[in-house]
Amino acid sequence: MAGYRQTAVALVLALSTGTGWAASQATAKQIERGQYLARAADCAACHTAEGGTPYAGGRAIETPFGKVYGTNITPDDEYGIGDYSADDFYHVLTQGELPDGTQLYPAMPYTSYHDIAREDSDAMYAYFMNLDGVHVQSKQTDLSWPYSMRWTLNFWNWMYAPDDDAGQRRAADDQRGRYLVDTLGHCGQCHTPRNRFGAIERDRHLQGAVIAGWQAPSLEAEALAARGWDDASLRAFMREGRSRQGSMYSEMYPVFHHSTRYLDDDDLAAMSHYLLGENPPAAARVVQKSQADDGAGRQLYLNSCAGCHGADGEGAPHVASAMTTNTALRLDSPRNLVKIIHDGIDARAFSGYERVQAMPGFGDALSDAEIATLASYLRRRWGGQQDAVTAENVADLTSAGD
Amino acid sequence: MSTTDPIVNKPLHVTVNGIEQPVEDIPEQLMMLDYLNEYRNLTGTRFGCGIGVCRACTVIVDHEDGRSEEIRTCITGAHYFEGKSIRTVEGHAERDENGDVAKLSEVQQQFLDHFSFQCSYCAPGFVNAATVLVERLQREPIPRSQLEATISDALESHLCRCTGYVRYFRAVRAAVLAMPGTTVEG
Repeated sequence: MAGYRQTAVALVLALSTGTGWAASQATAKQIERGQYLARAADCAACHTAEGGTPYAGGRAIETPFGKVYGTNITPDDEYGIGDYSADDFYHVLTQGELPDGTQLYPAMPYTSYHDIAREDSDAMYAYFMNLDGVHVQSKQTDLSWPYSMRWTLNFWNWMYAPDDDAGQRRAADDQRGRYLVDTLGHCGQCHTPRNRFGAIERDRHLQGAVIAGWQAPSLEAEALAARGWDDASLRAFMREGRSRQGSMYSEMYPVFHHSTRYLDDDDLAAMSHYLLGENPPAAARVVQKSQADDGAGRQLYLNSCAGCHGADGEGAPHVASAMTTNTALRLDSPRNLVKIIHDGIDARAFSGYERVQAMPGFGDALSDAEIATLASYLRRRWGGQQDAVTAENVADLTSAGD
Repeated sequence: MSTTDPIVNKPLHVTVNGIEQPVEDIPEQLMMLDYLNEYRNLTGTRFGCGIGVCRACTVIVDHEDGRSEEIRTCITGAHYFEGKSIRTVEGHAERDENGDVAKLSEVQQQFLDHFSFQCSYCAPGFVNAATVLVERLQREPIPRSQLEATISDALESHLCRCTGYVRYFRAVRAAVLAMPGTTVEG
């Protein structure tokens, strides 16, 4: 009798709201698939505040034009997407336009999501509609004029949004990798340079860009190989958050935390295959030897870094990344290295039980000139980068607002 | 080609607990903790985690402008301290002409009075951290109402595996309040 009552109540509830109706139509398998796809699309990175309720919005996305806040995408009728149909959801995802005609700012990566398959959109819709609605209003976007005028986005879209036939097709594994990297993963939103209107320069696909003060490195095969990446290390980096090349930090940590660690091995292999190509270039090894003029830089390293990273840059398992194979040292730009030395890295949890303590910042302990000397030594010794970093570089890269 | 550098020795000039140390050639990659333990036989500074987390290895650097600062010696090279003056846990008490301890510092005495130490492994770091805090408050007094929060901020990064935090906290509070000029009304 009790069972009958519960079923009846559930049925009435399901029929009384759109959410319930959508939920009742979705199968458990579709919902699970939707969760996987939502993770692959890394919706949480923007739509979840740090430490906040999943998908209830709140994270500020810094753009050159002002702050855009990730919205509440739980199925709350007033503040979320509770009143969306599956058609509405697909339209927002792939066209950047709300059901009421409001244009979304392209901080929502609809130019990448444009090629999301309808069945995948429906699976994500089923997943989101089966979450608990969270009755919380997300923060309002705060853009400077003229970008605060949403109607101008019509012109932006006319100029820059992809055409309907823009999707290209390749061999199966490559196609899956492309779909994960370019469409769901929207890697190009950070790793492809943008023009002054904030639009992605499609002819410089994944060639690297500066975003939110950090260098999002080139993901082209040659550039990856030059920084020491190969198939195994790329897959390990995405799955574990760490590899011999370093650990996920800055803007990539949320990508790992919310997205790449959940991807299955086949998908990680497809992404790696797509990025590195059919015949991956050999991962470069940098020949390491100290030089007579390493003096001051080497002593700074031994004094302040070697305790964890090792006198010979070998790193320490579970504690500190190796310098000998570190990808940040091999970037042409010293930007990321200098910022890390200056500001440190937060303590982070990685896959399994891997926990790494914070790296302290040395902005207070070392002068700009000392950081420049140290960075130059690190880049020359283990990065193969001969260009010296100057104190002015350090001041520029670490000034407030950068 | 070897990627490992040969070990190079360099002379180190450092003052420890007010005494200029004999100048010796010290490997340029030696950590300060090993210098204190092995070269100076000052074994009060403890090796705990070895990765700068537990802070049992903390010593005090005295700057010329009168400020004192905590430094972790397990992750800081001995040559970082070239020309600097430091204090270790051995340097806080007053000693008689025979070198024996005559009077403990206020912080040390309060730690004893409050039974703060258990296994004692973290004690050198706590003594040094609390001393740095007291000295800072003597230079820059704070309102009494901020004292508890200030103590927590100053000591929370130090780990005590015996979990003696409450008694450390009470001892430090007592030490601060026993020293004139560290707090003001408010």
